[in-house]
Amino acid sequence: MSASKTTGGKAIDILRNLPRISLANLRPNPGARKTERRRGRGAHGGNKSGRGHKGERQRGNRPRLGFEGGQTPFYLAIPKYGYNEGHSLRPQYQPLSLRRLQYLIDLGRVDTSQPIDLTQLVNGRGVTVQPLKRDYGVHLVEEGADIFSAKINIEVQRATEGAVAAIERNGGVITTGFYDFRSLTILCKPVPFFLSGQPIPKRMLPGEDMVRYYTGAENRGYLSDPEEVERARQELAQKYGYVLPDISKDELFHMLSIRKDCRQIFFGLAPGWVVNMAERKILKPTDEKLLRYYGS
Amino acid sequence: MLRLFGLKPCVVPTQIKAVLHHQYMNAELDATNIFTSIRKRTPIVIAFICPDRLTVTYSRSSGPGGQHVNKVNTKAEIRFHVQTADWIPDDVRNKIIIQNKNRINKVGELLVTSEASRSQQQNLNDCLQKIQDIIAEASQKPHEPTEEDIAIRRARLDYMNKERLKQKKIHSVIKQSRKVDFD
Repeated sequence: MSASKTTGGKAIDILRNLPRISLANLRPNPGARKTERRRGRGAHGGNKSGRGHKGERQRGNRPRLGFEGGQTPFYLAIPKYGYNEGHSLRPQYQPLSLRRLQYLIDLGRVDTSQPIDLTQLVNGRGVTVQPLKRDYGVHLVEEGADIFSAKINIEVQRATEGAVAAIERNGGVITTGFYDFRSLTILCKPVPFFLSGQPIPKRMLPGEDMVRYYTGAENRGYLSDPEEVERARQELAQKYGYVLPDISKDELFHMLSIRKDCRQIFFGLAPGWVVNMAERKILKPTDEKLLRYYGS
Repeated sequence: MLRLFGLKPCVVPTQIKAVLHHQYMNAELDATNIFTSIRKRTPIVIAFICPDRLTVTYSRSSGPGGQHVNKVNTKAEIRFHVQTADWIPDDVRNKIIIQNKNRINKVGELLVTSEASRSQQQNLNDCLQKIQDIIAEASQKPHEPTEEDIAIRRARLDYMNKERLKQKKIHSVIKQSRKVDFD
């Protein structure tokens, strides 16, 4: 057959000559729809209609779920214990393995030439974080540390020692930062927030239970002392047996050294600014009281 | 190099500083302090290990574990030639050879293995820790008594001697009092 001269190919040529599509012309593929077995309509849906023979079963009078005929049921025999006490107040972190991170980088879903943030991970559909379900962010885990080989500047909320070692071994930078509920929601879904027209809030500082973690150099906390962090990097290299690469000699040094301020949610945007998506403008406050509030 | 990335350190807000001060200001003598105060008396040098001077090999571990232990190389072994290891000081090197005769093979290589955990990485860390311990043990210097220690020791010896003579005199008086002198 000769090739079609129009865009769309042979299919659109055929369609042009067929009658108009209406409900009379449409039907599903044979075997796609199987008629259901309707109870009480004869042959094998009829007779006892799947209810069995006499008794509570046929008459629909079975006792409640969990009843064991009078024997103390399982759910009452076992004593109570506070396994789940306060579960709705416990912070949870979505795990992100290095294997998954390498997969995302290899597929190009996460860009390594820019600092990697929770926003980048969510945009690349790498992780799903649900702040409403007590998620406080992402936990970087060392599964796949042996195959990980990417130089990145990544910011997560929690990281294991092995994951930190794997990232620093490849010449990357890792930081752990705290995001309170509102900041986390904004970080995960920036566009709906910008469309709402509210000024970017300042990120809150961690509570008493998390201060220790984020001020510790071993965790690469964002509130820790840079000198202690450098010392911790050397110690970790000694512990894990690799040569710590010198980042300052790297060509991507500027990108690797980009860090957020402790009150900043987005790179390049300060608290107090309003982002207008429609007009592609950023509005900054000028009132000194607002500036003092957002600068504190 | 001390300054990390040439960055200005993030200014820690005052409320966090207050929390940290409250947490730590009453910690005069807790577990970590005690340990460091004891360790200060005999300082142990932690050696800097150059990873490229070590030969690391992985092999299959022994013991139970089914398919996992049969297939996965979790046992870590590190070996390095002791005599040519110039990253360890001379005297420490000699001490290592003397103290760890059983770990050194005919060629002169120190062998350290670990198959304690299920993870290859953890076993490697364990091996490195063992090497650190070997070097630490070899670099322990005998404790030199300070002038203060010598003075205290002398004072104690003098006191012990004086006590001994005093007790001797008392005993002598008792014995003499039991004598009956017929004048």
